[in-house]
Amino acid sequence: MKNGLTIAGVVLLAVLVSVTAFAEGEKDSSDDGYLVIFSQANNAEPYRAAQNDSFKELWGAYPDVTFEITDAQQDNSRQISQIETAIIKQPNLLIVAPNERGPLSEIMGKAKNSGIPVICLERDIVDANNYTTWIMSDNYSIGKLAGEYMVELLIKKNGEPKGKIVDLRGLLGVEGEQKRFNGAWDVFKQYSGITQEAEAVAGWLQSDGRIRMTEILRAHPEIDIVYGHNDPMAVGGYLAAKDLGRENDMLFIGVDGLQGEAGGIKKVIDGVLSATFTYPLCTDKAVEIGNKIMRDSDFVPEKVYEVQSMMVTPENAAELYK
Amino acid sequence: MLNNLEKNRLPLIFDMMASRMKKFQSFTGLLLIIIMAIILSPRQHGTGRVLFLTPENISDIFRQVSENGIIAIGMTFIILTSGIDLSVGSVLALAATFCAKLLTQWDPSIGQPVHIFLAIFLPLVVTTSFGTLYGLVISKLKVQPFIVTLAGMIGLRGFARFLTNNANLDIGFGDDVSSVFADLVSPKPVVISTFIVIAVIMSVLLSRTVYGLRVKSIGDNLIGARYAGLPVTKVLLITYALSGFLTGIAGILHAAQNHQGSPNDGISYELDAIAAVVIGGTKMTGGKGSIIGTIIGVFIMGILTNTFRLKGVDINVEMMAKAVIIVIAVWLQMPRQHKSKG
Repeated sequence: MKNGLTIAGVVLLAVLVSVTAFAEGEKDSSDDGYLVIFSQANNAEPYRAAQNDSFKELWGAYPDVTFEITDAQQDNSRQISQIETAIIKQPNLLIVAPNERGPLSEIMGKAKNSGIPVICLERDIVDANNYTTWIMSDNYSIGKLAGEYMVELLIKKNGEPKGKIVDLRGLLGVEGEQKRFNGAWDVFKQYSGITQEAEAVAGWLQSDGRIRMTEILRAHPEIDIVYGHNDPMAVGGYLAAKDLGRENDMLFIGVDGLQGEAGGIKKVIDGVLSATFTYPLCTDKAVEIGNKIMRDSDFVPEKVYEVQSMMVTPENAAELYK
Repeated sequence: MLNNLEKNRLPLIFDMMASRMKKFQSFTGLLLIIIMAIILSPRQHGTGRVLFLTPENISDIFRQVSENGIIAIGMTFIILTSGIDLSVGSVLALAATFCAKLLTQWDPSIGQPVHIFLAIFLPLVVTTSFGTLYGLVISKLKVQPFIVTLAGMIGLRGFARFLTNNANLDIGFGDDVSSVFADLVSPKPVVISTFIVIAVIMSVLLSRTVYGLRVKSIGDNLIGARYAGLPVTKVLLITYALSGFLTGIAGILHAAQNHQGSPNDGISYELDAIAAVVIGGTKMTGGKGSIIGTIIGVFIMGILTNTFRLKGVDINVEMMAKAVIIVIAVWLQMPRQHKSKG
């Protein structure tokens, strides 16, 4: 028994020691440098992982900045307690990508009232007084942009604004999903010839996009455009169509336009997607404004900065690909 | 005298008939679902054929249930030992991401065939090892399977995300080694025949070998099995390793079919597998069950899903309907006396 306890103790200690070896940004920030804490809603989404990487790279260019990320794993109460800890650390800047707009509102106000400048990233919160500035990109305008481009594609394909659309949707409760849908459909509604042939919820995943699209293809022989509300779902739809030899009968449109091998821009280059619309990471702007706030005491940031989406088509994809 | 004998025999015959009936209850369930699917199915555009019955759709279903089927077969063995494996979804994600990583971020100078072989083999070694580890902790340290595999579910999900830095790894969109892999492993016949071969082998393993008998004995009465001198530790080790191995195969198929290793795939797959196993008549307390039952369970779920989606049923309604059908299917298979007790 004693032996067992010793072994358990050793294992525990080993785990703790190796975990601390993976701790990020644990530099001592007690000297005159700046401490920036980023409270991320959920590291496990590719978009947010890209956001983290971009932040690390951008802040890395400033040797006097210590940058820390906390991961709320899509859990409001976890994010609240992480921000509470952040407040105790008294950083020079707090960036929050709130998991949900209601629950995170109060704690962000607390941080701001304790004298920490708070940048609200991407999603907003209920009370606009509770952040210093909001850096965002609007999913509705992205949906609208996508809708307008799809109308153009339909005119090119069918000679008039007429065609059958399939929507592959993310989780329905998410605001971004509804906005990407409404943005496009508010455009489509202006043309009586454009109709929705089918829609399926594929939960943002490529695998679910593929499976859901297979049945849609069986039941619907005529489809003009598959509008995936993110790139992986659109790619999943493409894979299903390719499996049936129908990938050339329809066009695939995505949203997100992330960089990298698995990102949407590469998929446009590969000819899998006809277009994707970037959902900006907003990190460039956040670092720019954050630096100004920290270093220039006279600087007064605007209440909202909107970062524009970019349309990625075969014409400009190679140029945009990093 | 003869009369008496007949009287004694009657309940026996009745019992036998009842057990035969019970054996076919899952089939009856499957048949009902198929009939429902035919009635509800939309017609194929142009030909007017029942869409559900077209060979293309049938093979779609086979393909779609393959992953869950392979996982559920491993799960059947585990549940037969009165255990559970909650970690299969995470194990699938780990296998898929590790395979994708080996294909896209590893560039050994060993030639394509060996590279592809290793990209399949190494993830299977990893998943089988984790299975073995579960078996070890469960049998030696006597920690409950629920706890051990719950820890596995959390830890291995983290490991998969750590491996890929939370990103998806896409494979097979260019003309590199990963495309050769995807072209090799993702075609329908490959996926379906992998499932069928595994089902046949595992069915034989369970019903015709000493190991299979021991799996059931352990689930029936663990303490008895220990007293009877059965190699309980060894059997549990093999069973959990087997589940790890099979889930690993499902993960490889998953990666190839989706052209992607995603660390977020496979969430709640354990519930689909467990549902298929119990619909197929395997007792959650262990000891009784069969692979054929599980296969039927897998198809009941698969056909149901297919039918709803051909009809374009709202996904929320689909979830609610499935819940009801799972409970009915399991209730139908409970022994008669339980039912009359109410």
